[in-house]
Amino acid sequence: MALRTLQVAPGFMRFMPKEYQDLVENGPFGRQVKLSDVGTFKEILEEHPMCEGCAMAFFIRLALMGLPNPEHTIMVGTAGCGRMALSQAAIPFVYGNYCDTNGVATGLKRGLAIRFPEQDKDVVVMAGDGGIADIGFSQVMHSWFRKEKFTTVMLDNEVYGNTGGQESGMTCRGTMVKMAPRGKQFDKIDMLGLARTAGVAYIARLTPANPSRVVSTIRKAVLVARKIGPSYVQVYTSCNIEYSIPADKVLDDARQVEKERYGYLEIVSEEAGAYLESVAAEGGEGR
Amino acid sequence: MAEMDPCSIGPGPAGLLPPSAASCGVVLPRKGEGLVEGRIVGEQAALEVMARELLTRKHPTVFPGPLVLWDWRDGVSPKAAAVLELAEEIPGVQIIPMPDYRPIYPKIDPEAVINPCHPNLTIWHNKIEVCVFVGVHCHYANITLRMIRAGTNCYTVTLCHSAGHEDSMASLPFCGAEQVRALTGTIRRLKRQGLRPLHGEARGIRLTGAQQAVQEGLVWQHGDGA
Amino acid sequence: MDGAGNQRVVTPEYMFFEAPRTRSYITGSEAANEAVRRANVDIAIAYPITPQSETMQQVGELYGEGYLKDYYRAEDEVGAFSAISGASRTGVRCLTASSGPGLMRGLEVIASWPGHRLPLVFLIMCRAINAPLSIQPDNLELGYMLLTGNIVLHAENQQDFFDYTLAGFVISEKCEVTLPVAVAVDGFFVTHARGWVEMPSAELKLPGRDGYSEAVPMIDNENPPIRIARDAPIQKSNFISYQMHAAWQQEVHAAQERARPWVARYLDELIEVTNPEAETMIVASGSAVSQSREALRRAEEMGTKLGLIKIKSLRPFPREELRQACRNAKHIIVPEFNCAGWLNREVRATLYGCADLHIADGPRVFGGITMPTEMILEWACPGKQGR
Ligand SMILES: Cc1ncc(C[n+]2csc(CCOP(=O)(O)OP(=O)(O)O)c2C)c(N)n1
Ligand code: SF4
Repeated sequence: MALRTLQVAPGFMRFMPKEYQDLVENGPFGRQVKLSDVGTFKEILEEHPMCEGCAMAFFIRLALMGLPNPEHTIMVGTAGCGRMALSQAAIPFVYGNYCDTNGVATGLKRGLAIRFPEQDKDVVVMAGDGGIADIGFSQVMHSWFRKEKFTTVMLDNEVYGNTGGQESGMTCRGTMVKMAPRGKQFDKIDMLGLARTAGVAYIARLTPANPSRVVSTIRKAVLVARKIGPSYVQVYTSCNIEYSIPADKVLDDARQVEKERYGYLEIVSEEAGAYLESVAAEGGEGR
Repeated sequence: MAEMDPCSIGPGPAGLLPPSAASCGVVLPRKGEGLVEGRIVGEQAALEVMARELLTRKHPTVFPGPLVLWDWRDGVSPKAAAVLELAEEIPGVQIIPMPDYRPIYPKIDPEAVINPCHPNLTIWHNKIEVCVFVGVHCHYANITLRMIRAGTNCYTVTLCHSAGHEDSMASLPFCGAEQVRALTGTIRRLKRQGLRPLHGEARGIRLTGAQQAVQEGLVWQHGDGA
Repeated sequence: MDGAGNQRVVTPEYMFFEAPRTRSYITGSEAANEAVRRANVDIAIAYPITPQSETMQQVGELYGEGYLKDYYRAEDEVGAFSAISGASRTGVRCLTASSGPGLMRGLEVIASWPGHRLPLVFLIMCRAINAPLSIQPDNLELGYMLLTGNIVLHAENQQDFFDYTLAGFVISEKCEVTLPVAVAVDGFFVTHARGWVEMPSAELKLPGRDGYSEAVPMIDNENPPIRIARDAPIQKSNFISYQMHAAWQQEVHAAQERARPWVARYLDELIEVTNPEAETMIVASGSAVSQSREALRRAEEMGTKLGLIKIKSLRPFPREELRQACRNAKHIIVPEFNCAGWLNREVRATLYGCADLHIADGPRVFGGITMPTEMILEWACPGKQGR
């Protein structure tokens, strides 16, 4: 019973730091929280060392609210900015080498399936565009070909943020960034098309401009990965540092990029769609 | 060349990066044995040393780790109760938890937690000169103990649930509630026999500033008054 | 099929020391497979490469027969080693394997296992790594393994490969060790050749892994703390983060030290010495030991007594044992199957300043040939042995 790991041993509560007292008494574990409840519960992620106003950090916070069962979820990250927030979240976080997320997630998912055949354990990869589409490409594609049942989320800031702003495969053609002195010479990699070809069951592309859509998209992606097959969510999370976006203009930028080129797109397999409908019909969120 | 002597593992500061005790030839005790400053002794002898150090050094502190803080499986709560009972017997004691192992950002509150990524912030801030670790996973205990030995003068006692710790000054392996109670018993006996605790007859566990503020519902900002 | 369901769990002590054994004439690959059959392995993941493939194909059959709970062919070695690291974090018993080029491809991951404190067994069927491509036996890759923090055992023959593999799982999962154990063997010479192997009954198996008694928390959401950044990335550059990283690295090497008593117990010491009083000592590991045994026999026929020190464990390295065993020696040779002479360097570093002796810089063969006994004799008894 995972929730036992959230009970403080008798007599020790008064020595616990405030954030843990709050998490234990008022965390989002073992119950459904909604975006509209923000402020009434203790969030899985609060303080973190990412840049002020970073859209990626904002997205991660929302995404963690979307997890259907955080008490049975494991996050997998890698080198890149997102790990800085993920390592502070009140949820297990695995961090290996740059490129290994989808291999590690495969092993985690299979190991957990051996040990807990009766209990769904959700595994969610969250890594940068470089981690997913460049160095981790092979492991991502093969996890999809093998139909591994976990969710892959690309934090697409269209650049290598963590190493100071070099070109990634997801940078838009023509953009001048480091190591692309004449502007990027080829198109943004079509990861959604590749996901579809590989038979990913639930595919979504979005921006954090609409927070409640972030929450519901992540929820759907995790539910589908639990029962049907791999899911992939690609989210535009601008890098305010490398693209010089003022911290208070980050959401304006997200709205504009969504309108002009990123849009909202969902590609749902028949089986996944039927499953999501059945979950909705039960009125439940897959608990 | 001279044969390598087993290191003597006393309180530090031992320098920037002293070699690990294991690489100096200190070996782990077996069941029924203890380790005191790098040497294998009997369990009772280890308990005597632990009790004496806890009573006679400044600002004794219990550092309970995740395995005893969280009531995650049967058997934890009796051990947790034994740890609290032990603390009650040490005048002037504080309890500062190690609830998890992540490096804490943006900064830790050394009156609220001890953390294996930067344990000395807590030791220095609270001027802790003797402490007990209990319920910490061995990997994190070992790196913590090594950093404390490197950078502070704190005497480290470990009540390990598993094989024990070479880098702590006094270590007992395979500790359940029973061994924790045995240490409590030894402390009581030493006091009965006339050992005067450094912190006098003070009873009860002292709350840190952070813990007091939380209890009183105040907003505590580390650094304000500390 | 439920192969594992028909097996009886016995203690490691019973399995290694008490269970009656029967003899089979099998290849090294088969010997490793028989160890896996008795090891209660949960999951095996690997990418094929000669000469490793034999064993990992057979392990696939074990999976088909129900001895393992999961198994797959990975996309490549980086994928295999990453995935097995994920599985190990969940507390299941893990196996992977590779050879020369595959090992080199996955080296970043292999070198990260110890810091992540991942118990698993990694079989290495040694093979040449240099260009031009060669599938021949040569154990240069072990030179790289020595720096990774993994425990590294080097089997001489089929029997060792069986015994070390089985023991590897037990050593790897000891709380104070909690490290990956690599069990190496020289490809072809051992993997594809037959030898006599004594094995306990196939109806016995080791107890399963108990992840909750290891040095780090399992990643399963069932044990504390709920915040598990087990492999915590240190994100600041300051003294505290340097010190933490340093203490962490020291801990990996301390854990290797703590493995010594277990390696000694289950492998019957870290070294084996023949003719301890000899003035000329051959120090060898892997199949070079077998060739050296033959050299000892031939030298004895010629009236010369040579000594032999078999190094079973490369990490932890038997420092004190080697110094003791060489205290009467005047002359040391180190036959190896690689061009770099990694064992020679270990021996020199260990014996430096300890005794007044001469350490020859060889003999070595590489590229696939077996070491002729004559070659060892030429180095061991210079002048005495003409061709
Ligand atoms: C094997 C390896 N190669 C290169 C690096 C250096 N590296 C670290 S993060 C990074 C880029 C990160 O970019 P991305 O994945 O897009 O994430 P972001 O920082 O933009 O969130 C690189 C190249 C590494 N850590 N490991
Ligand atoms: S560098 Fe860019 S992506 Fe990384 S934390 Fe800062 S703003 Fe966010």
